[in-house]
Amino acid sequence: MKDTTQLPDLPPVRDRNGAATAAAPPPARTMARRRPSSQQWAAWGFLAPVTLYLALFYAYPLYRNIDLSLRNYTVRSFVQGDAPFTGLRNYLTVFDDPTFAPALLHTVVFTVVSLVFQYAIGLALAVFFSQHFRLSATLRALFLVPWLLPLIVSASTWSWMLNSDSGIVNAALHAVGIGPVNWLTSPDWSLTSVILANIWIGVPFNLVVLYSGLQSIPASLYEAAALDGANAWQRFWRITFPLLRPVSAITLLLGLVYTLKVFDIIWIMTKGGPADSSTTFATWSYQLGFGNLLPAFGPGAAVGNLLVVAALVFGLVYMRVQRKQGLS
Amino acid sequence: MTGVVVTRRNRHSRTWWKTAIGLLLTAIMLFPVYWMLNVSFTRDQDMRKSPPGLFPTDATLEGYRAVVDQQLPYLGTSLVIGLGTVVLTVALAAPAGYALAKLRPRGGGLLSFVLLAAQMIPGIIMAMGFYAIYLSLGLLQSVPGLIVADSTLAVPFAVLIFTAFMSGIPGELLQAAKTDGAGAVRTFWSIVMPMSRNAVVTVSLFAFLWSWSDFIFASTLASGGAHQPITLGIYQYIGNNNQEWNAIMATAVVASLPAAVILVLAQRYVAAGVTAGAVKD
Amino acid sequence: MNRSAGRRLTAAALTVVAVTAGATACSSGAGGGSSKAADSGTYTIWDPYPQFDKGSAWAKLLDDCGTKAGVKVKRTAFDTSDLTNKALLAAQQDNSADVLIVDNPVVSTLAEAGVLTTTEDNKLDTSAVDPNLLAAGQSGGKTYGTPIGANTLALYYNKAVLKKAGVDISSVKDWTTLTAALEKVDKSGDKGITFSAIGTEEGSFQFLPWLWGSGAQLTELDSTEAVSALSLWNDWLKKGYAPNSVINNTQTTSWQEFASGDYAFAENGTWQLANAEKAGFDYGVIPVPGAKGGNAAAPTGGEFVTIPVQGETDRYATSQKLVSCLTSGQNLLDTDTTLSYVAPTGEVQDKQVAADAKLKPWVDAVKAAKGRTSDDLGTKYPKISEQMWKAVQSALSGSKSPKDALTAAQSAVK
Repeated sequence: MKDTTQLPDLPPVRDRNGAATAAAPPPARTMARRRPSSQQWAAWGFLAPVTLYLALFYAYPLYRNIDLSLRNYTVRSFVQGDAPFTGLRNYLTVFDDPTFAPALLHTVVFTVVSLVFQYAIGLALAVFFSQHFRLSATLRALFLVPWLLPLIVSASTWSWMLNSDSGIVNAALHAVGIGPVNWLTSPDWSLTSVILANIWIGVPFNLVVLYSGLQSIPASLYEAAALDGANAWQRFWRITFPLLRPVSAITLLLGLVYTLKVFDIIWIMTKGGPADSSTTFATWSYQLGFGNLLPAFGPGAAVGNLLVVAALVFGLVYMRVQRKQGLS
Repeated sequence: MTGVVVTRRNRHSRTWWKTAIGLLLTAIMLFPVYWMLNVSFTRDQDMRKSPPGLFPTDATLEGYRAVVDQQLPYLGTSLVIGLGTVVLTVALAAPAGYALAKLRPRGGGLLSFVLLAAQMIPGIIMAMGFYAIYLSLGLLQSVPGLIVADSTLAVPFAVLIFTAFMSGIPGELLQAAKTDGAGAVRTFWSIVMPMSRNAVVTVSLFAFLWSWSDFIFASTLASGGAHQPITLGIYQYIGNNNQEWNAIMATAVVASLPAAVILVLAQRYVAAGVTAGAVKD
Repeated sequence: MNRSAGRRLTAAALTVVAVTAGATACSSGAGGGSSKAADSGTYTIWDPYPQFDKGSAWAKLLDDCGTKAGVKVKRTAFDTSDLTNKALLAAQQDNSADVLIVDNPVVSTLAEAGVLTTTEDNKLDTSAVDPNLLAAGQSGGKTYGTPIGANTLALYYNKAVLKKAGVDISSVKDWTTLTAALEKVDKSGDKGITFSAIGTEEGSFQFLPWLWGSGAQLTELDSTEAVSALSLWNDWLKKGYAPNSVINNTQTTSWQEFASGDYAFAENGTWQLANAEKAGFDYGVIPVPGAKGGNAAAPTGGEFVTIPVQGETDRYATSQKLVSCLTSGQNLLDTDTTLSYVAPTGEVQDKQVAADAKLKPWVDAVKAAKGRTSDDLGTKYPKISEQMWKAVQSALSGSKSPKDALTAAQSAVK
């Protein structure tokens, strides 16, 4: 059922945003082929509000962010508005800064570790909760409670729990005979602590999305496999995981975007310290632009833009992978 | 799901065992929330007791008193903003999702990519942009303004979810509607939307939660206004030199209760929402 | 059928666009362009005291001053660390408040950005203010505001803990005797001292009495004296006289540790006096000792009342009336009593001591205190402060030695 004539720039049977089914039937196009332009009008009619919305509310901030990074803004020129254009000098400053390499490393570690654990734990929980036992629905809903809390509260609670002297975690460790760990105040542990808190905050999202994905896999497949003698692990690995791939892909991509942006948790727990040991690009960007008494808006915006570029690269990778999958 | 035929007796005992594990996992996950509750009842001088008490032995209701006296209007505002965000997000995203999924517009792929990129813009930059726009539109310190701003947290994601879900609606149904003479709007309203109920609930949930816990937009756009959300109300306890932690945690507890209730009631609908479910036999 | 459906849809879409545009146009009618909100009889005041809500004495004071000046006052409270950014953003959009109350080290940054008016422009009278307190708001020979009150740091001590350890407070005169006292306290089973070394301006604020007490200057962070100050803190941590949590403590958290009753000393500020009364144990206050005796110079805290630049310069006259009302004698006494600050003028300081003798050591401390941005450091201070707190964090967390940390800090400042 290939779409041959009307829109040659679109490859056939392409899932536009990826998170679709394992096997979605391509919509019938016979009617559309007869009157493509009215369908286009209808489509853009439906899209008009969102497009306008995007243009109004995202274009201007994005432009401002790029502008901030391409000019030399001092506090004075930020207010008075006459900053000289300096091209890529802010980016060069950022690359030359001694904090750049550690921040890059921490960002990569933070993102990868968070994503892996959030996804794995979310998936395990989703599989667990999809076995309808008593209270499973209520418990699953309760897992979302961490989201209800303002980030300042969740991050502060984690700070309290991980406090070197009065925190419950060290008290518990003490009870089993392990010495106190300086979770937030030691350069060795600060990154681990913020990753822990971030995983905690990210699990509900993964749980919800992956659970929904699991619902769409028909029980008949499992029954057939069980009849063929597959055990639980094989059923998971051969049926669940592959069929979940599109959902996993979108979960990981969105998780990547959100994790790259994570700032509040780290800022409230460790302020990126001590000694820049838990600084990621997101916190560094904030620190440069807003977190000190003498803002350096240019470099701050430059770091922020680097994050946007990183996310876009991954977005492109994702779309390419989706296209390949759609064609195969 | 991992369906294996079992005897009735086995199923019951297996169910209880799983429930126990489920309870344990939930308890571990919610331990920080319990800790928050613990702190909300702690007196100021016991805050940094070492080792900390698992249970607030010298409990104080000071924090809760402050919340009940001062925070209820903020909670009301947050609720209004949350619901407004939900309505706006669904109204914007559902048609867009339908168009991208079913109507195949030219440039739809580009739009999806732009939506993805849009989510990457740091919150503070968005807030600064909004400040400038709202200042010239006169929308600063207004509830509708904050609703629109908070919706930017959810709309790109919502469009993705709707697109994904609506792709799975069988084309035959839409074909049948067309043959019966329904236009695109009619098809959307009478067929697609009712079938997308789960997606709507999922999107509503995310939109509500994200707007409920938003701080950056509230702080930049609604500070000092007559109606402020709860994330700003909490700052009343964060003075320039002193922070009242039991009141802060108490506010968070009180703020989470109604939303938690909604969550438990609504989770039934979130189940099959996200992906396009239909696998054709 | 499809054609007319398509047309209907196009019409619908265009209507949506039109309605949206219309709605925004309508609402823009009310607000108008940039600059002042509708009513010229309303004056906006921004302050960093979110803990004072609508019914508080502070809010009433603002309203009263407004009534006296013949205008309505609209007050917005912000988190103090956020207020600078908000002020800059507002100034950029020509939407500054009429009166802006900010933390004193920020005044020079705002002045540099051209956000604030000088006393020449706004005709504010600052002659009665103590010069060492006014210095933080001065740069380039001009004055940009007036202090609403001042606070500073000193050492609180827990009498019971010291008694148990057998320490006589009058023996604590310099760093050696202080460390000896901490050792005794540690041996008797209690904890020594708590302070705040967090990686923000608060940490710098708390380190300054020790830096200045060693004889070092902010312009030379890597001098031997400065290294000795940082080593003092470092040794306390290593020996366990100060808890590891100081690296992440805010001043509030540090106070909560002291309030638990386990600590002998706490370095904290004037604003904790009310909490100290509630603490439930007998406490005392001594000035922070210098390295070799005497009192260390402590930094001045406290906010400045400033008048930002406005498009319509005739607003300055009323703004100046508001500020003068807020900082007038009786009002200063009331405000500073509420905030637990020391008044910035000698006359009101005397009244404060007359009302509460416990304030005397604080008044003396404030008289001897130094502004952080004084010595014409101005906007150089934020950069130095950031490097200083980074060095403190590096040293205390063990990633660098005090000497290396401060050397790195000094070279980063250049």
